[in-house]
Order: sequence, then structure tokens, then C-alpha cells
Amino acid sequence: MSLVAEAFVTQLAEEQILLSDNASSLAVQAFLQMCNLPVRVVCRANAEYMSPSGKVPFIHVGNQVVSELGPIVQFVKAKGHSLSDGLDEVQKAEMKAYMELVNNMLLTAELYLQWCDDVTVEEITHPRYGSPYPWPLNRILSYQKQWEVRRKMKAIGWAGKTLEQVLEDVDQCCQALSQRLGTQPYFFNKQPTELDALVFGHLFTILTTQLTTDELSEKVKNYSNLTAFCRRIEQQYFEGHDKDSSTTVAARSAKRSLLR
Amino acid sequence: MAAPMELSCWGGDWGLPSLHPESLTVMAYAKFSGAPLTVNTINNSWRAPKGDVPVLISEDIVISQPAKILNFLRKQKYNADYELSAKQGADTLAYIALLEEKLLPALLHTFWVEAENYCSVTKPWFASRIAFPLSLYLPGRMSREALNRILLTRGGPPLYSLTEVEAQIYRDAKECLNLLSKRLGTSQFFFGDTPTTLDAFVFGFLAPIYKVCFPRVQLQEHLKQLPNLCRFCDDILTCYFRLTVLGHSPAGQDTADANLQKLTQLVNKESNLIEKMDDNLRKSPQHPPRKLTTLKLAAGGEESSPLNRLSP
Repeated sequence: MSLVAEAFVTQLAEEQILLSDNASSLAVQAFLQMCNLPVRVVCRANAEYMSPSGKVPFIHVGNQVVSELGPIVQFVKAKGHSLSDGLDEVQKAEMKAYMELVNNMLLTAELYLQWCDDVTVEEITHPRYGSPYPWPLNRILSYQKQWEVRRKMKAIGWAGKTLEQVLEDVDQCCQALSQRLGTQPYFFNKQPTELDALVFGHLFTILTTQLTTDELSEKVKNYSNLTAFCRRIEQQYFEGHDKDSSTTVAARSAKRSLLR
Repeated sequence: MAAPMELSCWGGDWGLPSLHPESLTVMAYAKFSGAPLTVNTINNSWRAPKGDVPVLISEDIVISQPAKILNFLRKQKYNADYELSAKQGADTLAYIALLEEKLLPALLHTFWVEAENYCSVTKPWFASRIAFPLSLYLPGRMSREALNRILLTRGGPPLYSLTEVEAQIYRDAKECLNLLSKRLGTSQFFFGDTPTTLDAFVFGFLAPIYKVCFPRVQLQEHLKQLPNLCRFCDDILTCYFRLTVLGHSPAGQDTADANLQKLTQLVNKESNLIEKMDDNLRKSPQHPPRKLTTLKLAAGGEESSPLNRLSP
């Protein structure tokens, strides 16, 4: 059974989207491209509220709505498309473990940087997050979201970390990914899997987003096989739009043209 | 290396050196890497635990989280990961992340949030080891923190009630246990024959689930269906912590083994005897009466020796 209706990937509006949401959205798009499923990207300001789990991105197929990469992978598998069928049990366990590593370290670090680092919060996050709404709603919504994220950070023990420690964790995570990837084209031999999609989503976003400092992207650039990996996937799956850069260009507009 | 290192952590029960997963991880790593650590378990006479437990104190340095403690031990040249390749080191990080994301919520729930377990086992145990009046407050705080952590990390919509969250986290935990079991397979430790950081973390998370006797034990029952993980925990307990799985002292275990050996020898002898009798019967069937008499003699002769051996 194939996906009959067109799938829409819905994410936050162009001027509103933040680093972590963009990473998740790109991961889903990459995964769907790898499955050869046609997908359209639609931006809405209230995407977070439309989503069944409160998180972007979500896909809309026919009359079904599924959000976040994990459930989307299962949904697509139920429809008969799967990227990880060729793996044996031990490899599947490894793939799940590495996906948790990326979620645990990279995603949490992105959230920390966006919402707990005061400079970034003031200059980038607050203006972007509240941009579709009039004052005072924009400030209220962004403070509310910031409070939620900080609560979560405190519960998992990241609130006490300094920015340097967070960047060190990112470095450790990238080192682990780089060592696992080695010289292979994808993480599991010749075929891409959902792990490749997830890693691509996060790393590409980190590499191409301009923040107040370049430290985060510098950490990733230290590992040449990871940047080559991102470039390879970009060329192979997003090739209709010739973007040759995964370097820090005027990042946001460049990214948009790539994704469209 | 020369500076003495002290670890203060929660004590143990039910055959474990500690009930607290993080303390257990640090203790296991210290055993694997041969670090000389004096372990001070927190009890009534010890000063009140403030902040994080376990805490490593070495001269003036105080370190509190397991990852940081392990880093410190590695810097002091107590490294259990010496022989790992780069890829195995990366796998270690990934599996630790898997444990923290999938198994830890269910572990916290079993210990601190599940009402029956908390009231009948966890709270009295911890309260008995903390000085009054802190014992009235601290277990409740730990329980609230655990619930908070579970709800904040796993409790977003569409899971609106605690029961739905519970169902989801136990499903995830069982899946995680299955994945660990597949990864371990039949080898003794996760990376060959010597234990490493990953073994310490897995042991720290699994042993409390495996050993502590709770009224509500769905996770323990699932774990018991994975014999290689149970064997993994038992091996580490017997080899590195000198605690036998039955909880007897080592001397008692030796005599039990000796008795078992004697009994096995006796059974073997008897089965050999029966085989011989069968052979004799088959070889010459035409003179059964004579054979019987010779058999009796032979049997008498054979039986006297095990009888002798029975009396020590």
C-alpha cells in the first residue's frame, strides 16, 4: 500500500522557525525523500498548536496527522515503506541507540542554546518566536515557552551547565557520530536509514544557521567526514535546487531556497 | 593516584552493594578499573546528604555526577575503556543515552512514583538511612523530583494522564531491555571479555530492577525472561563484589558446592553401575540364574565403594 494522498510537512513560518524545530523538520523531510515519497512543505505560524503532540513538524496525509520523527517512521512503515528492513537485530538496536544519542545530546544542546543562553535568547529567539503576533502577545508567548524549556532543563540536570560544558557535550556527540560513520557513505553501509536522516537534519541546520556565535558550527566542522556526509545527502536528495554550500552563508534565506 | 578517594553513596540491600543506580554505576566502574575507593554508605550517623549522591571526595576536590566522577577516575589513570576501539567508544555513548532516555523513567517510576512500591519499600528504606528530621522530608522530595522528571520529559500531549504516561514508559523500558539483551547476545560483557564503562552503566540500571523485591514488579518479571541479562548481573555481583547470588557467605557456598559435587559423583557411579548390569544381561542371556549370582557379587563389590565414600 502506498501513500495515496499527498503528504504535507507543516512547520513554523519562515521568519519564526528556530534552530531545533528546523532541524527536526529537515530530518523528516530527508527521511521522506529517502523513502521516495512526494512531500510538500507548508509553513504555518500556529503549527505548534495544530500538531497533535505540540511539536513540529507533523505530516498530514489524507485525514491522518502524525507528528515527530519516531511516530512518522512507524506510520510510513505501516504503509509499507521502510529504510531499516535490511538491518539485523543488533544493528537495529545500535540504530535506536544512536538516535537516542542525537536526541539526548544534540537536540537538548540546541534547545539549551536557544532558550537558556541569555544573549541568544534576547537577540534571536524572542524576536523570531513571537514575530507573527502583535505586542504584547509575542513577548508573553516567548516567555512562556522559555519557562517551559528551562523547567525541563532543570529536571534533567542541564540547568547547571555552562555554555562551554554544553559545547563540549556537542563535541563529544559529534566525535561519537564521526567515529561511527568512519569512511562509509552512510551509517549502515550503502543504504541510508532514519538515523542518517536525523543526523543530517541536525548537523545541516547547525552548519547553516547563523547565530550570535559560530562556536556550535565550528564544533561540527572539526569533523570532515560529517560535513562530507551532509553535503552528500544534500546533493543526492535535495538536488533539484542547486545549493552547493553547507558553509555559513546568509543562512536562513539560503536554507529556504534549498528546502523549497 | 596516591590521594585517597572516598565515595559517599547510598547503601545496599537484597544482595546489592547499593540501591541507587548512579551509586551502583560508580562502584562497579571503580571495581572494573581497579580504583582504590573507600565507600562510605550514608546512614544515620553520617552527615546529612546534601545535593547529589554519589559524591566523590579526593583531598579537596568534590565531584558529584556519575559522568564527571568517571572522567575524574580516568584522568587518574583508572581507565576501564583502555582496550576499546573508537567505534566501541562511540557505541558506549549511544547506549548510555538509550538507557537514560528509555529505561530511566520506568526505573524512577518503579522506585519512587508507584504508590505501593514507594510506601512499602522505598520510603521506609531511605528514611531509615537518613537522620531525623530530614528523613521526613527527603524521600518525599526525591519522589516529587522523580515524578517531575517523568512528566516533563515524557508527559507531553497526547498523553494527558499519568496512567497513559506510565503505559508508554513501561513499553519503552521493555523495548530497551530487549534491545540490550540482543546486543549482549551470548558474550560475557558488552565488549568482549573485560568489563567497560557501558557494563558499569547497564549494571547500575539493571541490578536494582533485578534484585529489589517490590510489590509491583512488572519490569522485574520482564527482565527475568531475558536470561542473558540476569546472568550478566549475577556474574558481576559474584566476580566483582564478592556477594553470592543466594546471599550466603562464600564459605557456605563452597561447602554447598562440595556437597553437590559428591552427590553428582554418587549419581554418576550409580548410573555406571546400572549400565554395567545392563551390559552383562545382554551379553549372556542363556544363563540367567548364574548371571544373577555373579551380578549380585559384582553389585555387592561395586556398591561397597560408594558406600565407603558416603561416610566422610
